[in-house]
Amino acid sequence: MNTGSRPMVEVEGLHKHFGELHVLRGIDLSVAVGEVVCIIGPSGSGKSTLLRCINHLEVAEQGRIRIDGELVYRDEVEGRFRAHSNRAIAAVRAQVGMVFQHFNLFPHLTAIGNIVEAPIHVLRKPRDEARRRGMELLAQVGLADKAEAYPEELSGGQQQRVAIARALAMDPKAMLFDEVTSALDPELVAEVLTVMRDLVRRGMTMLVVTHEMNFARQVANRVIFMDHGAIVEQNTPERIFGSPQEKRTRDFLKTVLER
Amino acid sequence: MFELFNSQVAVENIGPLLGGLLLTVELTFVVITLSLVCGLFVALAGISRLAPLRWLVRTYIELIRGTPLLLQLIYVYYVLPEIGIRLDAFTAGVLALTLNYSAYISEVYRSGIQAIAKGQHDAAGALGMTRALAMRRIILPQAIRIVVPALGNYFIGLFKDTALCSAVSIQELVFTAQVHAALNFQYFTLYTVVAAMYLLVSFPAARLVNYLERVTKRGYRRRRA
Repeated sequence: MNTGSRPMVEVEGLHKHFGELHVLRGIDLSVAVGEVVCIIGPSGSGKSTLLRCINHLEVAEQGRIRIDGELVYRDEVEGRFRAHSNRAIAAVRAQVGMVFQHFNLFPHLTAIGNIVEAPIHVLRKPRDEARRRGMELLAQVGLADKAEAYPEELSGGQQQRVAIARALAMDPKAMLFDEVTSALDPELVAEVLTVMRDLVRRGMTMLVVTHEMNFARQVANRVIFMDHGAIVEQNTPERIFGSPQEKRTRDFLKTVLER
Repeated sequence: MFELFNSQVAVENIGPLLGGLLLTVELTFVVITLSLVCGLFVALAGISRLAPLRWLVRTYIELIRGTPLLLQLIYVYYVLPEIGIRLDAFTAGVLALTLNYSAYISEVYRSGIQAIAKGQHDAAGALGMTRALAMRRIILPQAIRIVVPALGNYFIGLFKDTALCSAVSIQELVFTAQVHAALNFQYFTLYTVVAAMYLLVSFPAARLVNYLERVTKRGYRRRRA
């Protein structure tokens, strides 16, 4: 994989609480252009929260996030945060694709309707251009024949593939995947992972929170192990899975790989 | 022989009563149209990020819900003129009913908006939609579909509530019957015809609401021939 050294996503000193719970305890992370980073770890370790902070679905109390070199969501003036305008925040989010565990397709729109919605109304693309690109993306995820189907007429795997196409339709600089196969029946997991492998081949910058250890082992440039709101260990997949340095990593891998 | 129902009287009065029915229907349509629009704006104001706007909406809704509709009608028609706001009966009726129904209907919209899963907001936000765009394109279309049956019931409720406008001398169906009954004392006949007229409209309307309820429960699917 040809990964440039230019960082696409940078996180610095991120802290997040949910009430008393300290879910992110100072996260530092950098994902280079074209790099595929998988985040693994037990549930409640803060993996999903980290991803949601990067896309401003959660707001961290402390820390900085940069997308493509730009400080996003807020400025720091003399130690105090000043939030960017809602419009500026929305513009950044339009550049970062996100795929969710529960798909979150818009049930009142068809597959193609889901895909063209934001390109038309956020990017102000002409309708026919958005539709042409949308059909290409549906073909890319293997669902060219399902354009006019509504989400509830599709299987979970198909819905998730539409959700990936919907995110790709924004021509994102990076894609965030939040446990995207966790809600799927086992036999439907493979079709979604195939689409994601295809994205890796196309050079997409990807940050993937996952429980699919084989996927992480095979496609990640780097695997991060998180526990209790902190990055415990990060390394190449060979190193993480072959010779983990930290006891917590070993314990975690033992439990998940023995299943 | 003495008869309770005098069909000759019924026939003689059918013209004016139909005129009353027409005004009742007209009142219903004017008020429901205004209330569906105003109610939506009230609902959106009620979930606004501006706290004063939310308090204003809460106060308005509690004021409307805590007082009888009849009193609200009387207030608009008889009390407002004392502070210089003089409205003709029909306008006063429309205003009072719209104020009342907008409050209730806004609560219906609000419940529909709040029924939409958080994941829909997340997905819309992650695609770069602003809150307003997400509301307009993603949340409201789903929310309105959910509340269509409830709105239908309010529509039928309003059709019957317009009878209260007889208290402010709007010549709708009940008022017309009162006037004519006072002349000929044929209470049974006149009010039976009036009841039949209400039922003739509200029964099919109720069936229509039931139908809408079934349709909206069906979920989103392709139309098949």
